[in-house]
Amino acid sequence: MTAVEDEKRGEEALERLRAADPPLYLSPSPELSHVARAAARHLYSALLPFCPKAPVDRLLADEGFDAEQIWCQIDLLSRPLVSTLRREVRRLEREAPEVLVLAGGKTAAEAVEGGHGEEGEEEEEDDDGEEDEEEEDAGAAEEKEDGQEEEEEEDDDDEEEEEEEEGEGKGQGVEDRFLKIKELEEYLEKNEEEEYGQLESRKRKEKGDEEEEEEDADEADLELGDFDEDGDEETDLYENARYEDFFGGKKKRALNKKDGGRKREDSDEDDFSDGSENQKVDDEDIDTQNKNNLSTHEKELQKIRSKIEQMEKANLKPKSWTMQGEVTAAKRPMNSALEVDLAFEHNVRPAPVITEEVTATLEDLIRKRIMEEHFDDVQRAPALPSKAPKEYKELDENKSKKGLAEIYEEEYAQKTGLAPQPLSVSDEQKKEASILFKKLCLKLDALSHFNFAPKPVIEEMSVQANVPALAMEEIAPLAVSDAAMLAPEEIFEGKGDIKEEVELTQADRKRRRANKKRKFKAEMTKRAAKKTRQSVDPSHPSGKQDS
Amino acid sequence: MEVEAGRAPSAAASAPAPVLAAARPQFEALKPHEMSDGKIQFRKVPVPSHRYAPLKRNWMEIYTPVYEQMKIDLRMNLKARRVELKTRSDTPDVSNLQKCADFVHAFMLGFDIADAIALLRLDDLYVDSFEIKDVKTLRGEHLSRAIGRLSGKGGKTKFAIENSTRTRIVIADTKIHILGSFLNIKVARDSLSSLILGSPAAKVYSKLRAVTARLAEKY
Repeated sequence: MTAVEDEKRGEEALERLRAADPPLYLSPSPELSHVARAAARHLYSALLPFCPKAPVDRLLADEGFDAEQIWCQIDLLSRPLVSTLRREVRRLEREAPEVLVLAGGKTAAEAVEGGHGEEGEEEEEDDDGEEDEEEEDAGAAEEKEDGQEEEEEEDDDDEEEEEEEEGEGKGQGVEDRFLKIKELEEYLEKNEEEEYGQLESRKRKEKGDEEEEEEDADEADLELGDFDEDGDEETDLYENARYEDFFGGKKKRALNKKDGGRKREDSDEDDFSDGSENQKVDDEDIDTQNKNNLSTHEKELQKIRSKIEQMEKANLKPKSWTMQGEVTAAKRPMNSALEVDLAFEHNVRPAPVITEEVTATLEDLIRKRIMEEHFDDVQRAPALPSKAPKEYKELDENKSKKGLAEIYEEEYAQKTGLAPQPLSVSDEQKKEASILFKKLCLKLDALSHFNFAPKPVIEEMSVQANVPALAMEEIAPLAVSDAAMLAPEEIFEGKGDIKEEVELTQADRKRRRANKKRKFKAEMTKRAAKKTRQSVDPSHPSGKQDS
Repeated sequence: MEVEAGRAPSAAASAPAPVLAAARPQFEALKPHEMSDGKIQFRKVPVPSHRYAPLKRNWMEIYTPVYEQMKIDLRMNLKARRVELKTRSDTPDVSNLQKCADFVHAFMLGFDIADAIALLRLDDLYVDSFEIKDVKTLRGEHLSRAIGRLSGKGGKTKFAIENSTRTRIVIADTKIHILGSFLNIKVARDSLSSLILGSPAAKVYSKLRAVTARLAEKY
């Protein structure tokens, strides 16, 4: 009694939870929490018989217990349960039992679904995943063994029939003997299942047994490649489809829609299986391969063979213009050179990238050059004078001071050589040049020779007047001032104490006279000696000769 | 003695030489006076009125070289307004008279004494005269302009020609007189003609320069 009451209360609590508005959950309400606890207790007790090890006999979800604590208890209970469930699923996979049709029109799988669907909030997702898994596993497992295709279809057809019965009243207006919406839906779903199933089976083959909890995501992200592969064959077939394929002859295939459907589905399946294995194969090959179940090695070999055939075909074809040697513009399509990355040698240096540093260096150089005044102006090369410059006689525009007679007189004198010719400008320049050269030679000789030759003294006579060069008013007396042109030595040369006649003393006069006499005597003797020499010498012309 | 002896035989040797060939008489040169059979020659040079005063001023400078060196008598005939020249008995050369006459005539034309004296001293100097209308017929302003062109500003063109060609030029209104040697006269005349004809002075100068350089090289 209490158990039944408890059950009733628990289910009531669940119902109330479900009925509660979602906004109510946002704010904490004690009533809701009480209800939730009751519901949790009910669920726990419901699960308890299935669990091998239970931590607690009854869920401790009183007011004092925290959400975390309650959850821990539930988790402890449900963990081993989940693993057992998985084991069961795998077993079912391997040995697919007959689907029992229960009273409510639900399959056993659906009943299991219902049972598991309400365990905790976070387990629902997992359960859903497992739920789908179960369906697909079932479908895929059936697919795997081609012999059981018919069974699967029969099952599916049964499902379809059931669903048809349920939804009969819907689209009667549109439907025809050709078109049945239900059939269309069934067909679409079937194909989707098969697609997904195809993926699953392939993955299982490649990866082996793995937990596929996230297959929802994988299913969502189906590879495009698969679609394409399948698509080619499908589109080909569907392009070539005709009225007869669908609706057959007028009376032949009208009844056996399902058979036709089956055949269609068969061909689809063939295409799928082929698409997964080969890409470009002839129709014959499709049939043969379809019959044999190829091993991995053989499939690889087929792949390689197809690749080789591809390559050989490419080799036989004419090459693209880029692979040919010399190609003129006529032999390649228009503007094709623009699309291709051509590599050719650039004979031109790339333009220099002007950065700030470059400009700064240039400006520094310019400034330095300007400061140094080191310009690169083109300067005219000085023309070497090949010959002496022509002497141009200046035209005298003044009245000549000399009379004509005098001019001729001078000319005559120069011609005869009585008077020296006046030096022309060139002569004076030559003189100057020669003087300079002589000076230079003297210096060079002094440097280069060991024997020093002194400078030749060129005596020039000039009368220098003892007149100051600058006639300036001088305050200093004449004796002190240095305005005179001549040096004192040049004015008077003499040594010793110069005395005037008046100043001489007696001794000086005597000395002077003695010196004079001595000199005179020396002179006389010399003269006498000279005379005697002359007279004795016979070769001398002034000598007297005895005739 | 040997020397003296040497001399004597040469004289003796010369004496018997004429015996073989006829003895050539030795005459002394004839004097000009005697050449014209003792006749005296005259030259008369009229004096234009504008040269009267200059003549009076420079009379001594004219008279002295003529009388002293050329040995020609010189006098001024005031009434007839002439300068008269006459040979003397001791005039050394026949051409002296002519030279003096030319000298005086040059002075009358307008040349300076210093320039005219050259006629006395050098043989190959001449006086050449020509008129502007000989070169080109010009009238009125053109004539005046031509005369101006000839002389230049302050006479510089004339002097330039004189100095470069060693001539003396006198421009008397439309008459032009040139004193100098023959070649120089030619050069000067050419330049003056080109000036009369209208060429600018610079062009004449350049030509002059070239010519005078050539002339100078000759000498």
